[in-house]
Amino acid sequence: MELNSTLLINQMLFGLALGAVYILMACGLTIIFGLLDVVNFAHGTFYMLGAFATFVIVSLFGNFWLGLASAVIIVGLVGWVTETYLIKPLYGKDPLYPLMLTFGFSVAVTDLMRGVFGTVGQIVPLPQFFSGSLMWGGIFIPKYRVFIILLMLAVLIFLWYFFKKTNLGMIIRAATRDSLMVQTLGIDVPRIWTFGFALGVGLAGLAGGVNSTIQSALPDMGVEITIECFVVVVIGGLGSLGGAILGGLIIGQVISFVSLFASDWSNVAIFITMLLILLVRTRGLFGEAGRL
Amino acid sequence: MKANKENTSNTRTRSRVIWVTLAVFLIAPHIISTPLTTEILIFGLFALGFNLLLGYTGILSFGHAAYFGIGCYGCGIAVRDFGFSIWGGLLVSIIMGILLAAVIGAIAIKKKGVYFAMISMAVAQMFYFMALSPLKKWTGGEDGLKFIPKLSLTFPFHVDLQSSFPLYYFVYFVVGISILVIWRILNSPFGRLLQAIRENEERTIASGYNVTMAKFVSLIFSGLFSALAGGLFFVYLGYGPLQTLFWLTSGTILLMTILGGMHTFIGPVVGVAVFLYAQNKLSWTMERWELVVGILFMALILIFPEGIVGTIKVKYLARKTAAQEVGEAE
Amino acid sequence: MAYLETKNLCKYFGGLKAVDQVNFQVKEGQLQSIIGPNGAGKTTLFNLLSGLYIPTQGKIFFQGQDITDKKMNQISQIGVTKTFQITHIFPRLTVFENVRISAQSRKTSFNFWRKADSLEDINDKTMKILERVQLAASHDRVASILSHGEKKYLEIGIALATDPKLLLLDEPTAGMSPAETILATELIRTLRDKLNLTIVLVEHDMSVVMKISDEVLCLNEGRVLACGSPNEISCNEEVQRVYLGGRKEC
Repeated sequence: MELNSTLLINQMLFGLALGAVYILMACGLTIIFGLLDVVNFAHGTFYMLGAFATFVIVSLFGNFWLGLASAVIIVGLVGWVTETYLIKPLYGKDPLYPLMLTFGFSVAVTDLMRGVFGTVGQIVPLPQFFSGSLMWGGIFIPKYRVFIILLMLAVLIFLWYFFKKTNLGMIIRAATRDSLMVQTLGIDVPRIWTFGFALGVGLAGLAGGVNSTIQSALPDMGVEITIECFVVVVIGGLGSLGGAILGGLIIGQVISFVSLFASDWSNVAIFITMLLILLVRTRGLFGEAGRL
Repeated sequence: MKANKENTSNTRTRSRVIWVTLAVFLIAPHIISTPLTTEILIFGLFALGFNLLLGYTGILSFGHAAYFGIGCYGCGIAVRDFGFSIWGGLLVSIIMGILLAAVIGAIAIKKKGVYFAMISMAVAQMFYFMALSPLKKWTGGEDGLKFIPKLSLTFPFHVDLQSSFPLYYFVYFVVGISILVIWRILNSPFGRLLQAIRENEERTIASGYNVTMAKFVSLIFSGLFSALAGGLFFVYLGYGPLQTLFWLTSGTILLMTILGGMHTFIGPVVGVAVFLYAQNKLSWTMERWELVVGILFMALILIFPEGIVGTIKVKYLARKTAAQEVGEAE
Repeated sequence: MAYLETKNLCKYFGGLKAVDQVNFQVKEGQLQSIIGPNGAGKTTLFNLLSGLYIPTQGKIFFQGQDITDKKMNQISQIGVTKTFQITHIFPRLTVFENVRISAQSRKTSFNFWRKADSLEDINDKTMKILERVQLAASHDRVASILSHGEKKYLEIGIALATDPKLLLLDEPTAGMSPAETILATELIRTLRDKLNLTIVLVEHDMSVVMKISDEVLCLNEGRVLACGSPNEISCNEEVQRVYLGGRKEC
């Protein structure tokens, strides 16, 4: 295998597309944690639900865009219900309980999906529009990968605009810092929390939908992806979206290059990366890695 | 105001709890299936080790399968590839558990609870993937650790580990001693320190304790006993399944501990017994066993977070207090 | 030599100068109160003294020893213990255990074999402290069900259990009824007089401050405004303007 710049750039772009999916998910996880102080152990399960939602809608209606949109909406709704009835009752109690609950949730929903869809992977056919590659300076990049990267950028811009410029976004940011204060202003903070959770898992669902053409949807994929998402936020620091982005980028590149050189270790590489970064910089790269 | 002794806190465990447990397990294999009781003992030890960290110190590890699996594989490889005896293999399990706990502790013990939970889960997953693929030559990959010669014990006297009763009583012996040791540890000054850390870490530091060191030691003990349970599991099965490193194992031990009662000493063992017995009887008939388990777990957290033994303890104490008050009034 | 002394102590949080060039001294056996408006830096100063925060600049000395960089648990072992402004007890443990575990800190706790309940000397010490803070009768109650005032007493008991030489009490009478406040004030006075403890107190209740303080320090915006006897401080015009309100003719 010849090591030349084409190959390297190809792998980098591949890594970027991989990273984009992780970035979407990690942003969702960070929003949920920032707002609710809950680490969503079912985050990957919502990803899985997004993938299946896309598959079902595309199978029924043949429209990929509808499928993607429904991934976000359906998963967001499930998240809305989950937070309202399962997580809200636990606020104020031991902070470990929501973790445990979301874990139980992922076990239950995974098995439910196994019952409905079986254990054979379902893949969404790539829309005609996206087949093939773009040529750019001697490099062939699959169109779909470009789409993923662009979509991630669009989402990041939307999130930036939403949090910085809209009223609701600013209220959420304020509630993240001081929910009591915001409550005394007459704002229904519990509603905000529900919305934040729905938004966070909606991002996971979008990630699942986007990846559904590349990776077959399997009920069991959820927990593994949750763990990978954890690696991303541990590396980047759970406090910030910047950390989520950086962590996602790093993980994408690590997976891409390790599968090129030592495919046997490609699954393990991200964990080793996490451990190395923790050894060198215990706070994670963007801080708030949780010292007492 | 009502007098009210410890409601849900572990603080002290009466010795009669231990003796009753040991007595029950002495005769249990004659009443219910021997392999099932052996598994209950093994996972009971695993759960006690796990709860040392969760119920007593207040630290949630979502990756305890790593210790269990490393103990299992460690014992297995020592016996199969290095000709160790069973005792030697179990010693290897213990050492592996301590080493792993030391490494994880050095990296993550200072971190806030959620970080520790995530990192521990990631580390366990790493070991799972390592055993699955890159280290396949030693671990057997998906098939697990196989081609194990027939296990037998020769010291201090011969025990035929191929038949269920001798195997059971061997496991009983090791687990029994471990239970006594864990009990002593948790009733000691160190055990109380752990509970103070769980109740209010900052206050414990303010009173002069080196809390980081205490958490570290707690993790070592937890890893030690969980790995020993893994080693016993290998001896019991006669082979080493990859499942021992899987995240579901971590999740199941958490579930069983909560089910029994994490703020009690013996709760985890009760949780293991109830769960494994139910699984044994019901999972064959239920297509969607895991769905049921997941729902039950969520219901536990929402409604009965103190688990079976914990809830009983609270109700019993409430009644005792009421009776006391009536008595005082008269 | 001052018992406790700070030299040019500073704590900056980004642009905020929470504590700015604070120099103060406490003599052995004294009871010194720290007063000032909210945001003056009182609690930050306490957190610096107890080791929760590391100073941005400056030094702290206790009995001549530089304790600036020491961690909170080390400082407690050296003899400086604080109570928390918002009660910080062990909720699910009994009142007895709350104090006992604090007392246990003076012995090595990496003892895995002895029964904790068999450490008789620690048990005796615990009971004595509970008697002093008037919680002996509630010793086997679960701490979380105590009343607010009782919890404040428990706070003090937990701090006493560490054999402190210098006690930092952060608003010990906050939230107490007038009757409870009087009792608490007496308790604190006894700690200085009978147990020869040096005490530094953050307080908003001026009646408490005036009654028992040997010295009073007034902080404002992180800086020392004035320091002196209770009388001097209450007559100080700047202190009156910034905090006490009203004008007292002296």
